Amino acid sequence: MYWICSKSMATQELQINESLAHLKTESESLKTKLEEERAKLHDVELHQVAEKVEGLGQFVMKTRRTLKGHGNKVLCMDWCKDKRRIVSSSQDGKVIVWDAFTTNKEHAVTMPCTWVMACAYAPSGCAVACGGLDNKCSVYPLSLDKNENLAAKKKSVAMHTNYLSACSFTNSDMQILTSSGDGTCALWDVESGQLLQSFHGHAADVLCLDLAPSETGNTFVSGGCDKKANVWDMRSGQCIQSFETHESDINSVRYYPSGDAFASGSDDATCRLYDLRADREVAIYSKESIIFGVSSVDFSLSGRLLFGGYNDYTINVWDVLKGTRVSILFGHENRVSTLRVSPDGTAFCTGSWDHTLRVSSSFSFSLFSVISLSPEVLLTHCVFFFFFFLQIWA
Amino acid sequence: MSSKTHNANSILLARRTVLQLRTEASRERMKVSKASADLMNYCTEHAMADPLLVGFPTSDNPFKDKKPCTIL
Repeated sequence: MYWICSKSMATQELQINESLAHLKTESESLKTKLEEERAKLHDVELHQVAEKVEGLGQFVMKTRRTLKGHGNKVLCMDWCKDKRRIVSSSQDGKVIVWDAFTTNKEHAVTMPCTWVMACAYAPSGCAVACGGLDNKCSVYPLSLDKNENLAAKKKSVAMHTNYLSACSFTNSDMQILTSSGDGTCALWDVESGQLLQSFHGHAADVLCLDLAPSETGNTFVSGGCDKKANVWDMRSGQCIQSFETHESDINSVRYYPSGDAFASGSDDATCRLYDLRADREVAIYSKESIIFGVSSVDFSLSGRLLFGGYNDYTINVWDVLKGTRVSILFGHENRVSTLRVSPDGTAFCTGSWDHTLRVSSSFSFSLFSVISLSPEVLLTHCVFFFFFFLQIWA
Repeated sequence: MSSKTHNANSILLARRTVLQLRTEASRERMKVSKASADLMNYCTEHAMADPLLVGFPTSDNPFKDKKPCTIL
């Protein structure tokens, strides 16, 4: 009896090992096939196609506002859709809502934990979400009454088993997408706190996420410590595409404005552009002199410029099509931890470990922009200067 | 008993990986030249509307520095 049992167990074990080996061989052959398919379509480089586009010349960026008030490292920030309000969170546990035009602080909340690594503004502008070492994502409705205690109305929405690394509202105030150090992303209903969908696939901490622009459908991209960037279907929870070309943790991912591509910034000191329809990396933005990691990336409105905040305290601006650097911005006194372009594309805000946030924009026109001025504007300028000089001579 | 569950887990994981790779391998892909051309077109189409790229009149800049004006 015992002999029969042990024999059946042995055969079972043999079967299991065979099928495991079989599955492993199949997965290896599929991976090779995938690489071959991707390589077949790699007929040209992006910067080669972009040779016919006019160069940008050098840009000068200038800091317009400095927001001071945090007591420790600024870890995350987000713009409000009204293009002037900003929410920022810090290691000291404070979440502050600023008016970027006047630099006034409009609201301040003290979280029960330190290291508030994620914060987001609701699309309506009426609430903010934040979280970090507390493993939760909480939503605070913003009230017009300055004296009201915001912490009293706090709503705990998401629960992870490790730190919250990023959060973002979807198209409405009703749903929040979160990513966590527990290796998963999750979609939550704000009102009930219910988990709507979870996304498994990363082999390590997920550090960042970005939702696709609303026209392109229900997908989002996430980046993690496993060096992978995954694109997910929000409804099914499936990983649609996966990219693994970075050599270190991916700290930031951001969709290209058309939704057909996304950029990533990593600890390997490079930013990369991945095209979703070609299903491969199409550009690398790096220089031998840049050896510090990228903490955050964002595109300008047209997608021509890629802004990267680096751990060497600088912001590098890249020409997305040609792959060259067009500007470098100094000013922060410690590493840049977060960077976002404003919703109307007029400025970008950076948060840093030096406790401040800076709002910056283009300072001078490049040759490209002068030529692009409309004829009427050019004519009025010429006429004005003509009469101006006429007056001096008279 | 634990080795059984371990084996079952490994099989499940391997099966999931194979299914994932199968779906990825069967996806429709576009040539890089076409995809790059589309990215380029998007950039040039929207270049005029990009304030950080082309700038805009100082009077419209909400972040402009407040300078005192002198009347000649």
